[in-house]
Amino acid sequence: MNKVMFFAHLRDAVGEEEVIVEAAGKTVAQLKVEIVETYGLQKMDTVMTAINEEFAGNKEIIQDGDVIAFIPPVSGG
Amino acid sequence: MENERYSRQVLFPGIGKDGQKKISAKHVLIIGAGALGSGNAEMIVRAGAGKVTIIDRDYVEASNLQRQQLYTEDDVAEKLPKAAAAEKRLKAINSEVEIVAIIGDATPSVLEELVAGVDLILDATDNFETRMAINDVSQKYRIPWIYGACVGSYGMSFSIIPGKTACLNCLLRAIPLQGLTCDTGGIISPAVQMVIAHQSAEALKILVEDWDAVRTSFVSFDVWRNEYSSMKMGRARHDGCLSCGEHPTYPYLQAENMTKTTVLCGRDTVQIRPSTKGDLLLQDLATQLGSLGYEVKGNPYLISVEMGVERMVIFKDGRALIHGTKDLVHAKSIYQRILG
Repeated sequence: MNKVMFFAHLRDAVGEEEVIVEAAGKTVAQLKVEIVETYGLQKMDTVMTAINEEFAGNKEIIQDGDVIAFIPPVSGG
Repeated sequence: MENERYSRQVLFPGIGKDGQKKISAKHVLIIGAGALGSGNAEMIVRAGAGKVTIIDRDYVEASNLQRQQLYTEDDVAEKLPKAAAAEKRLKAINSEVEIVAIIGDATPSVLEELVAGVDLILDATDNFETRMAINDVSQKYRIPWIYGACVGSYGMSFSIIPGKTACLNCLLRAIPLQGLTCDTGGIISPAVQMVIAHQSAEALKILVEDWDAVRTSFVSFDVWRNEYSSMKMGRARHDGCLSCGEHPTYPYLQAENMTKTTVLCGRDTVQIRPSTKGDLLLQDLATQLGSLGYEVKGNPYLISVEMGVERMVIFKDGRALIHGTKDLVHAKSIYQRILG
């Protein structure tokens, strides 16, 4: 099982701070697509991903027990 | 005056006399004079940098005063350009610092001119197109820059050192469209200050050349939800990156990757065309803008937003028409305030 955490406005869009999913063996890109479909979000291509607090690219494969955080870059300034 | 003026930061071991000397010899370029630009400029000027150049395309409005610390009600009444108002205030704060204020749009070609002799670039923009251009200029001319951004109670920062760290293009790989901005998601001043604190602390480290102290993680925080997180960036560098990889092309300095603005013939209207086609969730955007008090009308293909003198029509692919102006820079500014 994997804990998936959402930050900033993604959390509001999803409606949850974190969810538990079965993501082992999937790539980050695949998990993003699933999340987009489940919650009816805009594409997550440019949302940054951390696996166990370390930056992970879209091709990275998720292992069982990994904690995943989705961090959308914001542009205000 | 000089010794007394900087005595407290000279006492700080990370800076010291040598550090102060280095700071006073450095030139910092600040892109944007909004909330982050005001705060960062004030910190760097108070710290005694040799020269600060600040560029901004907007003028001061009443809605800025809640968080943009350099400006006053008089600036709003006079509709002063932010760069001009900032220059006046910064010179009053520290007359020893050379201040260069530029009223204008930080396009890639302007950025390439401005970076001559610059030691550090501070990001205080409100959109990713300019940030990607800053990122490319930083890589091309080997000048560090510090990304900072905030919306609502949330903020983030990352220090980008050419040749050492990943760059913004490694992280995003494309310009995000429909990112939340201060004009759509709101903003509270402490979130701004937290980002400024991170950016200006990093700036001081870089100005005194204490490279080991520079933060290597990507930090993000939420001052309302009491969260603070760091993401390690050791593996974030992307070999094939077109900005910082082995064969860079600096894509965001090239014309085809810029937002196109055109005055529509015979109409008081500017058309804005983003560099990449988007697929906006118009309904969400309409709801968001509606809840902020804008009058929004729409159909599945477009939404129309009344914004005082101007009216903006946004199409699903990200294209927009700004009615009520012929000023290209002003129109782009309105667009990026809403769509990031």
